[in-house]
Amino acid sequence: MAADASGPWRGLRNAAILLLIWEIVGRLDLVAGGALPGISEILIRLWVDWGDYPRHIGATLYASSMGFLIGNALGIGAGVLFALSPTALRLFRGVNIAVFALPPIAIAPILVLTLSGMAPRIALAALGVYFVTMTATVIGLSQADSRATDVIRAYGGTRWDILRRVQFRGALPSILAGLRVAAPNAVLGAILAEFGGGGRWGLGAYLLGSLGRGEPDRLWGIGLVATLIAGLSYGLFALLAARTVGSTRAVTLNTAVPDAAPRAGHPLGRIALTFGTIALPFLVWWAFIEATGVPDLISKTPWGVVEYLFLDPTAESAQTRLLAALVETLPITFLGMAAGLGFAFLLAISSRLFPRAIEAFMPVALVTQTMPLVALTPLLVLILGRGPSLTLWVTISVTFFPAFVTLAQGLALVPRSAEDLPRAYGASRWTEMRMVTIPASLPYLFAATRLTVPRALLGVMIAEWLATGKGLGNLLNQSRGFLDYGMIWTVAAVSVLLSVLFYQAVVIVERRVLRRLGMATAE
Amino acid sequence: MTPDGISLSGVGKTFSGRGKVVEALRDITLSCPKGSFTAIIGPSGCGKSTVMRVALGLETPDTGVVRIAGKTPMGAAKAGETGVAFQDAALLPWRNVRRNVEVPLEVLGRPIAQARDHIQHMIELVGLKGFENALPGELSGGMRQRVAIARALVTHPQFLFMDEPFGALDQILRRQMNLELQRIWTETGSTALLVTHGIDEAVFLADRVVVMHANPGRIVDVIEVGFDRPRAPGLFSDPAFHRVCDHIAEVLHGG
Repeated sequence: MAADASGPWRGLRNAAILLLIWEIVGRLDLVAGGALPGISEILIRLWVDWGDYPRHIGATLYASSMGFLIGNALGIGAGVLFALSPTALRLFRGVNIAVFALPPIAIAPILVLTLSGMAPRIALAALGVYFVTMTATVIGLSQADSRATDVIRAYGGTRWDILRRVQFRGALPSILAGLRVAAPNAVLGAILAEFGGGGRWGLGAYLLGSLGRGEPDRLWGIGLVATLIAGLSYGLFALLAARTVGSTRAVTLNTAVPDAAPRAGHPLGRIALTFGTIALPFLVWWAFIEATGVPDLISKTPWGVVEYLFLDPTAESAQTRLLAALVETLPITFLGMAAGLGFAFLLAISSRLFPRAIEAFMPVALVTQTMPLVALTPLLVLILGRGPSLTLWVTISVTFFPAFVTLAQGLALVPRSAEDLPRAYGASRWTEMRMVTIPASLPYLFAATRLTVPRALLGVMIAEWLATGKGLGNLLNQSRGFLDYGMIWTVAAVSVLLSVLFYQAVVIVERRVLRRLGMATAE
Repeated sequence: MTPDGISLSGVGKTFSGRGKVVEALRDITLSCPKGSFTAIIGPSGCGKSTVMRVALGLETPDTGVVRIAGKTPMGAAKAGETGVAFQDAALLPWRNVRRNVEVPLEVLGRPIAQARDHIQHMIELVGLKGFENALPGELSGGMRQRVAIARALVTHPQFLFMDEPFGALDQILRRQMNLELQRIWTETGSTALLVTHGIDEAVFLADRVVVMHANPGRIVDVIEVGFDRPRAPGLFSDPAFHRVCDHIAEVLHGG
């Protein structure tokens, strides 16, 4: 009986229905005059083109797995350091936020300028991995059961004993969950770098080469293969986590009060730390350029960018072009983000009212999360054309899914008893929603906003680069063509700076609001 | 002062958190002679667990001195002279019963292989024979607590610290464990410090009952309990036993 179909079977059934609809719509050329081919047409084309694929897939896999390894080694190492030393964590906060917020597409041309061969691809893949794994490691290590660490300490165990016997093992699920999210990120990073860096092999290069030929079935094929690789890497680590983790959670609830955060001692020390936090990203930038040894003409230090933008004879023209690009890019970024977040919020809230309908939708949401954005955009171009509506849709789609997943997972944590209370007094579903579910979801809404800021900018810039020929993304692409190195570095710096600033703004509002409500921030 | 027992003198400790400053302990002076059994009793939040954590070296006191057989608490811990059982069993969820009992030996760097028989003996002592390979999640609350007791005893400690070790157990199991504990303590001849909020448990087990009050956490009375050992379960219904219990209840509530 269909009504009894549970879990995986219902998922399979829904997937089959979706594929069937896709096939019918595609075969009848209902979307934008054949921009969406039927599944079977795509698969046939994939079969015909198959000879091209192995080398492209090989290149992408090589870059993403190398980046995955390096990024994770750095992420776990840094995570351990930060878990041991809160001072180090605060000192590197600026660098960490910058790494999290930087739109990979803005960095790709820079990496291509300064590194050679596979290195830019590996570096971009590693950058996409580092933050996720680092955060997961820090959270996992610092959430160690205080009672278990007490036992070790009571027998005179050292910091290392605690780390080794309690914290590492306890952090394993968190780290594995981090790797699961990081794996598709590495694939996305590698493809992005292939896109921006020339080179013959790699799915990104293949996609770029096929863009101009107006063959939707081939583009869809490449997109599907890219999604499959990203999705499989996600699935691999999900499986690994399920197999190895076993029993990690404490059986009983820890009621011990968490240690109060130690106040930094001297005010001067605090100021020095804040200064260091802000200065360190620029220091890293400068050190990177020194280390690569690329001539000044091509690589710009922070000071080089200031010179280019304010002091050089061409400064005025540069400023005008940058401002014009920003005016085009920023409004649509905010609009898309607001729409994506709002839509996700509504859907997450109503998922409490119609759990069945949302359950069917969730797997689709998860699959699209692993879909590499660059592979998605050309497909959307085919359907939506090259106008602003494309940019808007790309932005909504990149912000909507992560926001929805964060919100839905957060709402699932609201204790049943909290929802039962209003109901016990005869409240309607809507009253219950208003009193419990919506306030409870606030921390997750903020977390989702933080999460989506950089993604929104990335989405807009990719759309601009590939399709609309407007704004920052286009400026970056043009500057590559004109060998305008100053502008390439400037756009990269400005987009990272904007991302960081906006991220910080969200954090400040979040802290204010949540403190007033007596709520904790959600990770 | 008792150089070979547990001694705290003039210990004070304040906590500050969430904008409030709490004086958890004020001028705690207490000495437990070698081989004695001392129970600390008091209302929730009177700082009795903090006394134990200070004595174990898990918290550093703001004022005062703590000595265990003349050593600092951490010194005694590193020498492997102390054993500890917390209110919660605090077992590592990914280790089975035997591997959980081995934890203190591992931390102290003692060889596990030679201690194999002893570990098995401890597991049998707490009545968990046949459960050596079970994970904590597969055990009942009482069984987990017994693993914690076995873990506390595995190092042959001369000093045994217990923070409400039977707090989560039901009354029947608790009585049973009290009898077991008395037997084990008599066998090992260790100096024991027990934190509890069960008056009958304190009186049944201890030579001396230390009564604490809250705000600030302080000792208000020390009551000697002179019943002969070994104490039989029948003692629980003895009128003399109840007189001592009633007296302690009065000190607890009135002061």
